Amino acid sequence: MVMTRVRRAHSEDGKAFEFEETMIGSGGMKDVYFSMDGQNAVAFYRAALDATAMERINILTGRYKERIFEQDGGDYWKNLLCWPTHVVKDEQDGRVGIVMPKYQTHFFFEHGSFNNDVLGICGKEKEGKWYASPRNRFKFLATNERGNWLSYLRICILIARAAKRLHAAGLAHSDLSYKNVLVDPVGGNACIIDIDGLVVPGRFPPDVIGTPDFIAPEVIKTQNLQRDDPKRFLPSIDTDRYALAVLIYIYMFLRHPLKGKKIHDIDDVDRDEQLSMGEKALFVEHHSDSSNRIDKKILRPEETFWGDTNKLPYTIAGPYLAKLFEQAFIDGLHFPEARPSADEWEQALIKTVDLVQPCANKSCEQGWYVFDNSTRPKCPFCGTPHKGKLPILNLYSSRDGADFMPDNHRLMVYTNQALFPWHVNRLIVPNERMTDAQKERVGYFVLHDQRWLLVNENMLGLTDMTTKQAITIGEHIELKDGSQLLLSKENGGRLVVVQMVTAR
Amino acid sequence: MSVRRLPVYIAIDTSGSMRGEPIESVNVGLQAMLQAMRQDPYALESVYLSVFTYDIEVKELFSLTPLEDVQMPIISCPQSGPTHLGEVLKRIVERFDGDIKASNTEGKGDWRPMLFVMTDGVPSDIQLFNTMVPEIKRRAFASVIACAAGPKAKTEYLKKFANQVVSLDTTDSAAFAAFFKWVSSSIAAGSASSGVSTEKADVLPPPPDKIQIVL
Repeated sequence: MVMTRVRRAHSEDGKAFEFEETMIGSGGMKDVYFSMDGQNAVAFYRAALDATAMERINILTGRYKERIFEQDGGDYWKNLLCWPTHVVKDEQDGRVGIVMPKYQTHFFFEHGSFNNDVLGICGKEKEGKWYASPRNRFKFLATNERGNWLSYLRICILIARAAKRLHAAGLAHSDLSYKNVLVDPVGGNACIIDIDGLVVPGRFPPDVIGTPDFIAPEVIKTQNLQRDDPKRFLPSIDTDRYALAVLIYIYMFLRHPLKGKKIHDIDDVDRDEQLSMGEKALFVEHHSDSSNRIDKKILRPEETFWGDTNKLPYTIAGPYLAKLFEQAFIDGLHFPEARPSADEWEQALIKTVDLVQPCANKSCEQGWYVFDNSTRPKCPFCGTPHKGKLPILNLYSSRDGADFMPDNHRLMVYTNQALFPWHVNRLIVPNERMTDAQKERVGYFVLHDQRWLLVNENMLGLTDMTTKQAITIGEHIELKDGSQLLLSKENGGRLVVVQMVTAR
Repeated sequence: MSVRRLPVYIAIDTSGSMRGEPIESVNVGLQAMLQAMRQDPYALESVYLSVFTYDIEVKELFSLTPLEDVQMPIISCPQSGPTHLGEVLKRIVERFDGDIKASNTEGKGDWRPMLFVMTDGVPSDIQLFNTMVPEIKRRAFASVIACAAGPKAKTEYLKKFANQVVSLDTTDSAAFAAFFKWVSSSIAAGSASSGVSTEKADVLPPPPDKIQIVL
């Protein structure tokens, strides 16, 4: 029997941690061990920390931890942010380390790679990079590890929400990338890790400039200037916003927004890369400048589908996200202040969930797609057209109790699609602050005898405005083109106008 | 999209003195390295590997091959034989000139290649070796790492062409396992976070305990 030797470390306030002597992994600056209680991991810094770095980890495990986790609803963030809880010192060698919760089990591969896990990655961490390219996702990963398009939409919501929380606390992650975000497409989970490098603007400067593919153009452009040069850009909330936009784009389209065919230096590959990711960065789908389009003829076989920006343009993600992609990669690519905030991404992603339709093709790998606002809706991934009537609810709400104005929010109807309190009332926002009652469905849709019905489960004021008739709880109403339904009589209550698309 | 290739060349000394445990350890180490690299989604996507052996004869076990397609053969050593380090460097230079794609209308060029050279002795073809040193230096390798394995390896020759020399005290399985593990993490380092410092020296991870950095 192999005996695991136990080592000990303790925190300043005297709390002791026992951990296994065998290292389970090592990163750029730290060596990681599992704690004996099976709950935590301890990461020791290989090099001694300077005073600033010590202060940073002390404040992260102190004040900032309290601010985020020890408030109402603070537990919610434990799933999204792998936050260091204690600063400890190894009793043997005096190395400084941080204690963090162990990653949740769903962030480790259950099936791993294709062909009974030929690569041997079962039990390894679900590093985001596995899902970030067509080859990794579709060639190497087992089918039941891949998730579908809706899984990634959900993952993006969680990443945006976690970034929003950090930014709201005045913190920048400074190194968001597919290495530092664990994702679980099977269960639709995501978690930001490596939080000890957080940047507090003006207080704790960044240690790293980021991970290639996610470093903002202004940071790359000025990376050769001295650190204290006023013209130098370092990671900040603005650069986190860039990295977040890249992450979302990559997970939705499996391609990098700046990696096209344009060459800036024919002789020096490093300089070419620096220019194309920095000073000369150009969106591969730029409207008026097509010089950096993805060159289809050099793609590898698995890449041709996702690399085709004509067949799969960013606009397939729907109008809310399309606008933000333009803001991030056209308007804001070289103007950090024009980039969408994490909060805007979260809102747009949530609204986009209401635009998705299940694909009629049961073997479609992506399974879901965003309605394209046409009379011939079809799945952009497998080409299967939608059949039959497709009801769309356009959401309106009133600011003054009299006039109802459009909310720029639509809900696509499909069988078992549900109405939630945030559809019924504009003042309810679907985020981490919702109460459990607000997460409960209040109505659902069903296709019955070729008629689309809305069944009222818990809407007190549901009224058919055409007939002024109330639909009480337990009753249903048929959706017809042009019908107007008031969902709630309360302040912020929504009015929906039904559009019936008959797919041709 | 259109990921650049990251070419990696590895040259293994198969001279007579490597016979027995040393070469068996190298075989185990290479297999483990290949497996570790395949478990890294970044390497899996970009690394193209080529392995050479050299004794009196230079053998290219396989030319640049995507990681997923690599079949690592078992390497064996002759009874005795000199260490033609100069010859293998010559072959690698030729390969570099033929293999490495520059950016052109056909697409983005390759990343600058990495070269790992392992030896347990001194070059027997010293004249050719000396001719090849400047040739290697003239090629735009991202890094050239030489490994002096065991007590008889002389680092002074390796320092001439490598920008980093590591030395292994012994040529047993633990030493080679540590070395090849380090090779695979060096290759993966390209995907890791970059430091704020303007110096570029910090690209490689620190080598494990068993390895001494000579430079």
